[in-house]
Amino acid sequence: MYSIIRQLDEKRAAARMGGGQKRIEAQHAKGKLSARERIELLLDPDSFEEWDMFKGHRCYDFGMANQSVPGDGVVTGYGTINGRMVFVFSQDFTVFGGSLSEAHAEKIGKIMDHALKVGAPVIGLNDSGGARIQEGVASLAGYADVFERNVLASGVIPQISLIMGPCAGGAVYSPAMTDFIFMVKDSSYMFVTGPEVVKTVTHEEVTAEELGGAITHTTRSGVADLAFENDVEALMMTRRLFSFIPSSNKEKPPIVPTDDTVERMEMSLDTLVPVSPNKPYDIKELIVKVVDESDFFELMPDHAKNIVIGFGRMNGQTVGLVANQPLVLAGCLDIRSAIKAARFVRFCDAFNIPIVTFVDVPGFMPGTAQEYGGIIKHGAKLLYAYAECTVPKVTLITRKAYGGAYDVMSSKHLRGDVNFAWPSAEIAVMGPKGAVEIIFREEKSDPAKITAREKEYKEKFANPFIAGHRGFIDDVIMPHETRKRICRSLAMLREKKLENPWRKHGNIPL
Amino acid sequence: MFHKILIANRGEIACRVIKTARKMGIRTVAVYSEADKNARHVELADEAVCIGPPPSKESYLAMDGIIAACKQTGAEAVHPGYGFLSENEEFSRRLEQEGIVFIGPKHESIAAMGDKIASKKLARDARVNTIPGYNDPIEMPAHAVEIARKIGYPVMIKASAGGGGRGLRVAWNDKEAAEGFASCRTEAKNAFGDDRVFIEKFVEEPRHIEIQVLGDAHGNVVYLWERECSIQRRHQKVIEEAPSPFLDEATRRAMGEQAVALATAVRYQSAGTVEFVVGKDKSFFFLEMNTRLQVEHPVTELITGLDLVELMIRVAAGEALPFTQEQVRREGWAIECRINAEDPFRNFLPSTGRLVRFMPPDQDPGAVRVDTGVFEGDEISIYYDSMIAKLITHGGTRDQAIARMHDALNGFVIRGISSNLAFQAALSRHPRFIAGDFNTGFIAEEFPKGFHPSTLLHDDPLLLASVAAYARRRYIYRAVRTTGQLKGHERRVGNEWVVLMQNQSFHLTVNLVHGGCDITYQGESSCLRTNWKLGEILLRGTWNGTHICVQVERMGLKYRVMHWGTQVDAIVMTGRAAELLALMPDKPPPDLSKFLLSPMPGLLTEITVKPGQEVRAGENLVVIEAMKMQNILKAENDGVVAEVMAKPGDSLAVDQPIVKFR
Repeated sequence: MYSIIRQLDEKRAAARMGGGQKRIEAQHAKGKLSARERIELLLDPDSFEEWDMFKGHRCYDFGMANQSVPGDGVVTGYGTINGRMVFVFSQDFTVFGGSLSEAHAEKIGKIMDHALKVGAPVIGLNDSGGARIQEGVASLAGYADVFERNVLASGVIPQISLIMGPCAGGAVYSPAMTDFIFMVKDSSYMFVTGPEVVKTVTHEEVTAEELGGAITHTTRSGVADLAFENDVEALMMTRRLFSFIPSSNKEKPPIVPTDDTVERMEMSLDTLVPVSPNKPYDIKELIVKVVDESDFFELMPDHAKNIVIGFGRMNGQTVGLVANQPLVLAGCLDIRSAIKAARFVRFCDAFNIPIVTFVDVPGFMPGTAQEYGGIIKHGAKLLYAYAECTVPKVTLITRKAYGGAYDVMSSKHLRGDVNFAWPSAEIAVMGPKGAVEIIFREEKSDPAKITAREKEYKEKFANPFIAGHRGFIDDVIMPHETRKRICRSLAMLREKKLENPWRKHGNIPL
Repeated sequence: MFHKILIANRGEIACRVIKTARKMGIRTVAVYSEADKNARHVELADEAVCIGPPPSKESYLAMDGIIAACKQTGAEAVHPGYGFLSENEEFSRRLEQEGIVFIGPKHESIAAMGDKIASKKLARDARVNTIPGYNDPIEMPAHAVEIARKIGYPVMIKASAGGGGRGLRVAWNDKEAAEGFASCRTEAKNAFGDDRVFIEKFVEEPRHIEIQVLGDAHGNVVYLWERECSIQRRHQKVIEEAPSPFLDEATRRAMGEQAVALATAVRYQSAGTVEFVVGKDKSFFFLEMNTRLQVEHPVTELITGLDLVELMIRVAAGEALPFTQEQVRREGWAIECRINAEDPFRNFLPSTGRLVRFMPPDQDPGAVRVDTGVFEGDEISIYYDSMIAKLITHGGTRDQAIARMHDALNGFVIRGISSNLAFQAALSRHPRFIAGDFNTGFIAEEFPKGFHPSTLLHDDPLLLASVAAYARRRYIYRAVRTTGQLKGHERRVGNEWVVLMQNQSFHLTVNLVHGGCDITYQGESSCLRTNWKLGEILLRGTWNGTHICVQVERMGLKYRVMHWGTQVDAIVMTGRAAELLALMPDKPPPDLSKFLLSPMPGLLTEITVKPGQEVRAGENLVVIEAMKMQNILKAENDGVVAEVMAKPGDSLAVDQPIVKFR
């Protein structure tokens, strides 16, 4: 008996070595951790329960028959993050370059099926050279099996992807369908076709880092949400993100005890909005001063900076925050910011996370680039997302809420539950100057008259009271009491029930 | 007594005057420029009058507007504070003509002391020590030597047209005097086109020590001891204290009596300051007289127990001084740190912007006093002085006052703009400062390259490491209390932690206890006790029984800890995580993106940088107007501007390069 037990120990030890010491060292030399080291950091100590450690591939071609490594290039199983269950797969670059075989895909599929069954998130740690070429179509089938599960799991359990090495070709589409993508600077990249193919086809010379590195995807393309300096930082910050989100769509997000009081006043918010309507200010100051313990987990901070998204807590309860950022492009909506915010709003709605929206939006961005780029459809995504969503929605207009953008930004008319405004709010079809030039077109040649008209328009509309008069604004609040008022509204909405009519699925303007 | 006074100033001094006036039952009128509409002094005053646009010339220096404001509000007297119109003879005279009392000296006294040469002559006549020197142009080297000998070496040879150290020579003997004279003269001619050269006594290791005087309309003049103001940067006072750690009683009395003699000579009827330069041999010479209330007057107030503003008001109202020289107290020690909105690392450039956080330490009568003119959420504008607060501490001894200052600086939170808080902490903890061994060259000698808090080593790094470890441990304590955990499979948290900071690692055992934690490091245990709450910047409590106040903020994975002028970014992890972190490559600071690209189509309205200029992350680079909104583009990283590729007035396309970095 003992010898059999010893044999198990030996088999396990061998499996744990993956591609062997040398390859692990090579992995370290590239500034990357091994698949198991990553899991160790991601999960609570000693919580990892590994499955399919001995699983191997079934390929006999191209000399693969004598090359089998237990686990077949991916470590799978489940464990806990701060006591909450999560399923994990971690691709092992030291085994066949982490390439995806049929068996490899089956392992991933297995934990995903379980995750769906029990209602727990999946975190994928990607570090793979791509398809196992020796397996041919079996490998491609494996990818598609994972894709299908990604889609079926979407909106049911949260899925988080960490890109910690190469992720190219078809492999990118699994992370692409998950909820969040984190990347590691300098050691990870994602692209559909690599620099060599790009060179042949389009004659562009570009490095892998420029084409699909962490910076590229967190600034330019918006494919990834956050970029981290190294594996350790990426994994530890993933734990932090995890603390905000629920385990499935059947749950509310976890509640965390807080030291912060609901009544906390921030007198300095009374001066946040500058006297001059053209002067920008940092909306993040409002976010940070309103959420519990100033703890704001921002997503996509470097992409479409004219809108700010991320998680925070109000009285211990997770909220999704969406805010126009007057510091960038005056906070106006454009293609990228609409897409960024729409996707976030839909995540929150899918996972029962209340949405708090701070509005200071002068409108949609004009220009041929925007129109040719399809701002109509892309802007509609955000409108659709807000309109469709049934979670509690609390909105605060801090300054401008002009035109169609006012409607879009979680207005009362899109089933906004509680809509507040600061006294500095201006809710109107457009800014005073533009409005006057249209309404009083005949008087355009007389600057004195126009100025007077502008003043008249400003007095009439550059305030929140017209909207308040109509009930579109539930109350005009003091900036310094913002936290208290939002916390109360969220408490009132905690058991909100709202259902959309049954349908197979809506047809969001993609 | 007056019923209503107007304060012709802004900022902390306006608030300071209002406070005393209120105490005396006098109503107050504030004046303000358009930039100060929401300023603290406007809030505090009973009435406020706008006197013009932001530039001082059109507001705080515009006499007509201020006089009109007096008439409009019925203010009977004007307190000018310091700076602005406080030493303006014309203003004093005009108020007098209008029948409004100037709370300050008579205009004759201002005039007498306003002229540097005339005031020196007056001082000499009043038998006040003045710097020995020869004030007529010198023609020949031999003549220079003769004069130098008469004055006594060392002497300073300076160009009449020079300034700021240019065209200046120090000679310690005849040879140097002759050579110095010749070279100084040549340089003066070349540099300034004016070859007049003077010689005067060179004061070695000069200290700046000033005497506070106070006179009334009845011919009484007293002195309220001295203030030591030698800690200066480019002639700007940084730390002041009273008394001076350098003076002995005899020198103190001699200086005081000379100051009184001078004030008497000009029939001085208010608070004023006689400035002296004091050499290492305790010889002292008159520099000038400031005919106003000084910025640093609180240190005198704290050691004498007097309210100088109240006395100024009473004297101006014609009352006699309520005490004699013999009754002037001198108790304990007081120190003042000027808190400026400036960046010590960027050559002390003023820092402007929004005061996102402004939490001065708690005031404690007789121990800690904060004079400030700003509040959290205020905007620090480009128009005025960068001083936003004065932190003054008092103690029975100098050491106690210093200790209280350290504590107060630790507890002072400013965010949103850069401040010199950490620099002040570093200065006031410098062994030479603590020993009282300094002169006006102190900052230039000890901090020639400016100052950055991340490079300052801390006396007790274990405290910083422990605070970071405690904060992390508290976050974990909270994290393991979230809902939705697997019953029976909760996270087990260990006690062993590694803190990485300033290239050091600390292996700590951290035991969380109620109200703090016990730390074991290298076999020795320490205890941290605090009622700190998550998210608070200030962590107050005790460290091995000693009171502490440390600032701590969580920034991503790091904990930024600030104390005694040191700032560290600490990472706290388990031993295993630290082991794995050690495998991670040490990345050089991220490559600066070489270009600043226009993020939008718009009109370039302003470029605030020049080629060759160093910029720091967050610094404003250019302003683009788009959609009738100003967009300020800031530097993403530290760097040096290589080229400016557009000019104001240009229409910019998306992604058009504006600034190229080196």
